[in-house]
Amino acid sequence: MPMRDRLPIPESGYMQAVVGGGLVATVLFLALASPSTHTATLRLAVPIALAAIGGIFAEKSGVINIGIEGLLIVSAFTGVVVTFRLGSGESTLLISHHWWGLLAGVLVSTLFALVFAVVCIEFKADQIIAGLAVWLIALGLAPFVSRIVFESPNTATVGTFDNVTVPVLSELPLVGYLLFDTPPQVWIMLISAVLGWYLLSRTSFGRWVVASGENPKALDTAGVDVRKVRYAAVLLSGVFAGLGGAGFALGQLGTFAGGGETDIGGRGFIAIATYLFANYHPIGALAGSFLFAGLDAIQVRLQAAGYAVPTELIRTIPYVTVIIVLVFVGKTRLPEAAGENYESGED
Amino acid sequence: MRDRVERLLERLVRASAVERIAVSVAALFASILVGAVLVFVSGGFASCRTGLELAGWTFCYNPVQVYYELFLGAMGHPLQGGWSPMNYSLATTLQQTTLLIFTGLSVAVAFRAGLFNIGTQGQLVVGGLATAVSVVYAAAIVPGGLVGTIVLIPIGVLVGAIFGGLFGAIPGALKAYADANEVITTIMLNFVAVGVTSTLLSWQFQDPNSSNPQTQPVPEYAEIPTIPYVGFGGRMDFSLLAFAFAVALMVGVAWLLARTSFGYELRTSGVQPEAAAYGGVDDKRMVVSSMTLSGALGGIGGAFWVLMVHGRWLENVPELGFDGIAVSILAGNNPLGVGAAAFLFGILQSGSRSIGTATDVPPELVGVLSGLIILFVAMPEFFRMIGSRYVGVERERPARADGGEAGSDDGGDADA
Repeated sequence: MPMRDRLPIPESGYMQAVVGGGLVATVLFLALASPSTHTATLRLAVPIALAAIGGIFAEKSGVINIGIEGLLIVSAFTGVVVTFRLGSGESTLLISHHWWGLLAGVLVSTLFALVFAVVCIEFKADQIIAGLAVWLIALGLAPFVSRIVFESPNTATVGTFDNVTVPVLSELPLVGYLLFDTPPQVWIMLISAVLGWYLLSRTSFGRWVVASGENPKALDTAGVDVRKVRYAAVLLSGVFAGLGGAGFALGQLGTFAGGGETDIGGRGFIAIATYLFANYHPIGALAGSFLFAGLDAIQVRLQAAGYAVPTELIRTIPYVTVIIVLVFVGKTRLPEAAGENYESGED
Repeated sequence: MRDRVERLLERLVRASAVERIAVSVAALFASILVGAVLVFVSGGFASCRTGLELAGWTFCYNPVQVYYELFLGAMGHPLQGGWSPMNYSLATTLQQTTLLIFTGLSVAVAFRAGLFNIGTQGQLVVGGLATAVSVVYAAAIVPGGLVGTIVLIPIGVLVGAIFGGLFGAIPGALKAYADANEVITTIMLNFVAVGVTSTLLSWQFQDPNSSNPQTQPVPEYAEIPTIPYVGFGGRMDFSLLAFAFAVALMVGVAWLLARTSFGYELRTSGVQPEAAAYGGVDDKRMVVSSMTLSGALGGIGGAFWVLMVHGRWLENVPELGFDGIAVSILAGNNPLGVGAAAFLFGILQSGSRSIGTATDVPPELVGVLSGLIILFVAMPEFFRMIGSRYVGVERERPARADGGEAGSDDGGDADA
């Protein structure tokens, strides 16, 4: 949440209103909600923020990756299965099996992203339909494999990452329990947001990605291979989404329910709304993910408190918010060439 | 977004019907092939007593047996003795086909208007609950017997269509007037539909005589009747009348799209929104009305799920709406093609049950297969490449100018 202050405020009144409203909401949230709700928010933001950061790279390069939900599902599931198979609570090469699980989750997610990239870039598939396919395949594959390994669509429980507690610093008010006594996936998320922002806006790779989505022809003319840039961007979306999915499963859930909408439950789609809301700014997307994760944490809290409002209705709060947000950001300008296949004249 | 959809549809319309059918069939076979590899490899990780020993590894699953169960099991094993066409498995296949025709049409109508309706599932959930509740309440004031059947079923279907349509109109209006991406809003509304319907159920409509989350049953005479003496009676939960209605609706939608001015405007908005607007089509209203029509078809699917299959609304609604996406995409979003694609997915659904009973392979395989089918249908270029490599066909791209035909009536009829 401290990142929010550094968010450059765009000129348009709309963005000012969003950022201003966000700051007020943040202060109110920090003052009124309990510390446990704060930490829950930070952890629930992990899959949304990381999927959003990944989605930004893909979409900025001109490939709309709507299958990011599927990437979250496969990475979360793989993370749990691999940790379970290796033996949770033990370690190999001095590294805990949870970390090997995370690595496997990232690899599988990147592999899926590669397939998606080949299908979209090499075979010029419609990106939305191919993305839906990735989602539906993941939705079928996770419970399919789970039934083979665990004889149930839900996996066994493998436990979660231990909190990383920094002595002294963790005693600080607010930031102490938020940042210095927290599971590692929260730090992965924070570092990824800064790294994503740096990559996108401060490196030549970032400029290529933007050019590939805005004006691929110009990039091609400048001698940069548009296909390679798009491959790299889509693979990167797989890496970030993999960190998000596996980090969420191994750091927060400790298990994975593959039935129905799975434990991911639309967080990949919420991530897409988040980066549209943040106008493709990685740190803005991090801030946006706190909005949805905060609502999620509050609804969990409301359920536990046992108010007269039915749980099922409370559970829809984040989804309704996504719709409201989309109504207000409907005008987000997509990259000029997003969704289009680029064919180099050399063919 | 619009731009992209437009170009995609233009490409789809331009591709000849034969080519599209070829792509769909090729996609089907490619998915079956990849599915077979998946089944075989995953068998290496399963535990079993007997399996294929290969290089010190035991492979438990036999893909050939799995597909045998999937396709022939769905028909009730016609190659074995004592087979009758009126068997339970075939009834399940046709029951699923009937329901998938509705959801497939729902997705197809939106797609032809240039919109992705991923929300058919939610529209079906909402429409189904509305049907169950309205029929249960109306039954109290309507006489029973044949009169009840004649009055209650149309009421139920109509109410399902209205509520499904209204729920579909929401993302349509959000798209038209606030430019909110309909892919995301419809997916979110699926979650909202589940939350709202289960809240309504526990608040008002829960069957007091059951601990399952479900509504009271509709009276038996309000369920879709079966034709006496012809077959599929008893507890098969399938009615040929419902199937006939689905086919009639399919022909009706095809006629609506191809032969009416509304259909013409809808298709033009999908292919060439600027041209449609220039030609006097109110594009905002078109978005709302095509989403409403799409939602209404999803709602009818919910009504038939209630009135034909369970006789009540249950909280656990099967994912007919998501399968409708696969059905529509496999059918090239052509209403008449939806029938064939729905039959195929009906086989997959029914066959997954026979896989579940006859083999150890998880029935979720079918979910993976439908995802693969969508993936392969989305990449016709893949098959064109393979085709040109092995058959030596020159890859020919129609010149841009040929696209002019796309919006005309001829172009539309070519897909029928």
